[in-house]
Amino acid sequence: MIKIANLSFSYNKETPVLTGIKLEFDRRSTAIIGQNGAGKTTFVKLLKGLLKADEGEILIHDHNVNRKTAAQLARTIGLVFQNPNDQIFKRTVLDEVMFGPLNIKMDKQTAKEKAIEALKMVELDGKLEMNPHDLSLSEKKLLCIASVVAMETDIIIFDEPTIAQDHGGKEKIRQIIQALKDKNKLVMTIIHDMDFVAENFERTIVFTEGKVLLDGDTRYVFSQKELLETACVEAPGITKLAERLGFKDTVITVEEFINLKQTCSPPR
Amino acid sequence: MKRIVVEGLKYKYPLADSLALNDVTFDIKQGEFIGIIGKNLAGKSTLCQALVGLVPHFYKGAYGGKVFVGGLEVKNHSIADISLKVGMVFQNPFTQVTGSKMTVYEEIAFGLENIGVPRSEIIERIDSVLNLLKIEQVKDHNPFDLSGGQMQRMAIASIIAMKPDILVLDEPTSQLDPAGSEEVFQAIQSLSKQGITVILAEHKMEKIAQYCDRVLLLNNGKVVDFDTPGKVFSREDLEEKGVTAPVYTRVCKALGVKKAGTDEYPVTLEEAERVLRGDGA
Amino acid sequence: MKSISLYEEGTSFVHDVDPITKLWYIPFAILIPIILPLFTVSFLLIGLSLALLLAAKVIRKTIPVFGFVFLILITVVLIQGMFKPENETVLFQIGPLTMYKEGLLFALTITLRVINIIGAFMILVLTTKPSDLVEALVRKGMSPRIGYVVVSVFQIIPEMMATMSTITDAQRARGMETEGKLLVRIKAFLPLLGPVVLGSLINTKERAMALEVRGFNSQAPKTFLYEEKTYQFSKILQMGMLLLTVAAVVWRIFL
Repeated sequence: MIKIANLSFSYNKETPVLTGIKLEFDRRSTAIIGQNGAGKTTFVKLLKGLLKADEGEILIHDHNVNRKTAAQLARTIGLVFQNPNDQIFKRTVLDEVMFGPLNIKMDKQTAKEKAIEALKMVELDGKLEMNPHDLSLSEKKLLCIASVVAMETDIIIFDEPTIAQDHGGKEKIRQIIQALKDKNKLVMTIIHDMDFVAENFERTIVFTEGKVLLDGDTRYVFSQKELLETACVEAPGITKLAERLGFKDTVITVEEFINLKQTCSPPR
Repeated sequence: MKRIVVEGLKYKYPLADSLALNDVTFDIKQGEFIGIIGKNLAGKSTLCQALVGLVPHFYKGAYGGKVFVGGLEVKNHSIADISLKVGMVFQNPFTQVTGSKMTVYEEIAFGLENIGVPRSEIIERIDSVLNLLKIEQVKDHNPFDLSGGQMQRMAIASIIAMKPDILVLDEPTSQLDPAGSEEVFQAIQSLSKQGITVILAEHKMEKIAQYCDRVLLLNNGKVVDFDTPGKVFSREDLEEKGVTAPVYTRVCKALGVKKAGTDEYPVTLEEAERVLRGDGA
Repeated sequence: MKSISLYEEGTSFVHDVDPITKLWYIPFAILIPIILPLFTVSFLLIGLSLALLLAAKVIRKTIPVFGFVFLILITVVLIQGMFKPENETVLFQIGPLTMYKEGLLFALTITLRVINIIGAFMILVLTTKPSDLVEALVRKGMSPRIGYVVVSVFQIIPEMMATMSTITDAQRARGMETEGKLLVRIKAFLPLLGPVVLGSLINTKERAMALEVRGFNSQAPKTFLYEEKTYQFSKILQMGMLLLTVAAVVWRIFL
């Protein structure tokens, strides 16, 4: 779906932010991890056309991103920003979610339907007429997710969706990601929460100092202990525990761990 | 010696319909490292702010009960007075930068100038906290140019320089990457080892389990439990209160293995490893 | 981090002069030509200011400012030269336009005054760190709260500009067209103001709390990290300016 060749970018000449990125994306859900400053956010801004590459090209569905404005790309690729306060500006929850669909020229009736559908997904459909700023921070984040989901883009990118979310909030985000995957969309996220990565994403890409350090199945990536260390990334807790106990395979979820443990240890 | 005593604290924000804190009672001893957990809106931030006097002095609102910190009753003292006993670090490193100072060094001096510390002592204290929080190498940088982890450590340094003997932190690492969080936790732990009483609200349960002596579980403004991490995370009703136990606890719970001779599940990587090894894996 | 301050670091003796003395220089430079309305006096003062700016090696930074001011002054010269009611002595004519002596002389007075004022301000602004100036004023008894507001503006405005660009990106991301014709840009700009204002209100509240717990409202007498910046000749300079002003007044009244 997305093809990236030899992509480089810098804000000023002296310090390159990204150098020589070569990646291809299919429909596997993908987590982008790495330290702050590794270039993750810059990378998704380039995909979204919010920044223009110095070198290289990005093809989305065979269209060159460089030749389109961010607004034109909005039909194919959605991005949920990290801080909801940067995004919300309508007076009611419903208007906020309808803003994107109307911008990409959906008719009013369809836009409303899509908006309500997306709000149901995040369980905010009971608050259509509320002022978004009266919502709690975690509800605001969910609202921002809904306002991008309603645009029905083929690709949807999240920037740190789990920050400031408690157990319940994370659970909701997990369900949204699953629902998007079921609709055959490409879901991508920038994230620091490794347990969440292990449980929800098929593919993981590790960025470090503007380059791709590791790329592959999430399980494979978390098995590369030494490389992860150089990127200052830690494997999920359960992976570390399994490794300490001398499990042969890389374990990335609690369920796997329990299964393995129950099958290989003698019943007591 | 008790450093913090909270008795029947009730608090309602102005314009709110319900109590943010409802009959909260507990006490904390000198040098303890306390974690506060609970789902969003459970009252964690409000409780942190009640310990430094922002509740009620900054927000106003309806206030009942008593809070004593380091011998001062919060209700009867100004935030400036309380800030000499209790320091507070907030969630967002960015908004804690005063914006009126050009270097990290000057930024840390801000609080000390306000409370009238003599010049020679200001310099002494800054040098010592720069070292303690490991940010000497950026002391001449502009505060806004730091990374998130460095900025948050600068915020802690600015507070610690005021020599409070109690430190309250409200989700200090929620906006940081794993390496930045780790830096901050290490710094807090070294302060705790020096005898500073630490109260930390946090969502990262693995960290709470690893570092805290006791854990205060809040739900709907009420104290549900206040006990060791082992006891609190072994509760059966944890998920109902909106909290997920550390992954090590969850896995041991599912396998039904407890720490030898107790009724508790392991809460840290090391404990889980020990228990599961003993299990014959 | 960009700061919007125009301060230029330097090692000249102008930089060494304490901020209060430089502040004194502004009313001095404004008052003298008013008390003694002679062109010579104005020229002398302008010459002095320019010499100081040169000595501080900051004269280049004044060019855009003076350039902008000259643009406005040219219109003053033209309008006064042609249309001042007292105009009667014709100086010269270009086509249908007539320039009069009275108007031009008046315009010259205004021009000199403005250049003079700008020059005096530039010395202060270009050679003094804003925080040094405010700190000096706080030492003289200005409220530290006002001082804080003044200094923080220099850093917080650039920070707001950064937020503004994030917010623009967030709207572009949802398909709002912000590139292209002026009308498109204006239409795109207005909705951004809401989040910018709200965002800064939220930040202000958080920052206010952070300041509170750092003793911002402490009743204790404030101390300072840096020793007071003193200049060995500041008393002499300040007295000198005062004496010159008094002398000017005396001159005006008795001579």
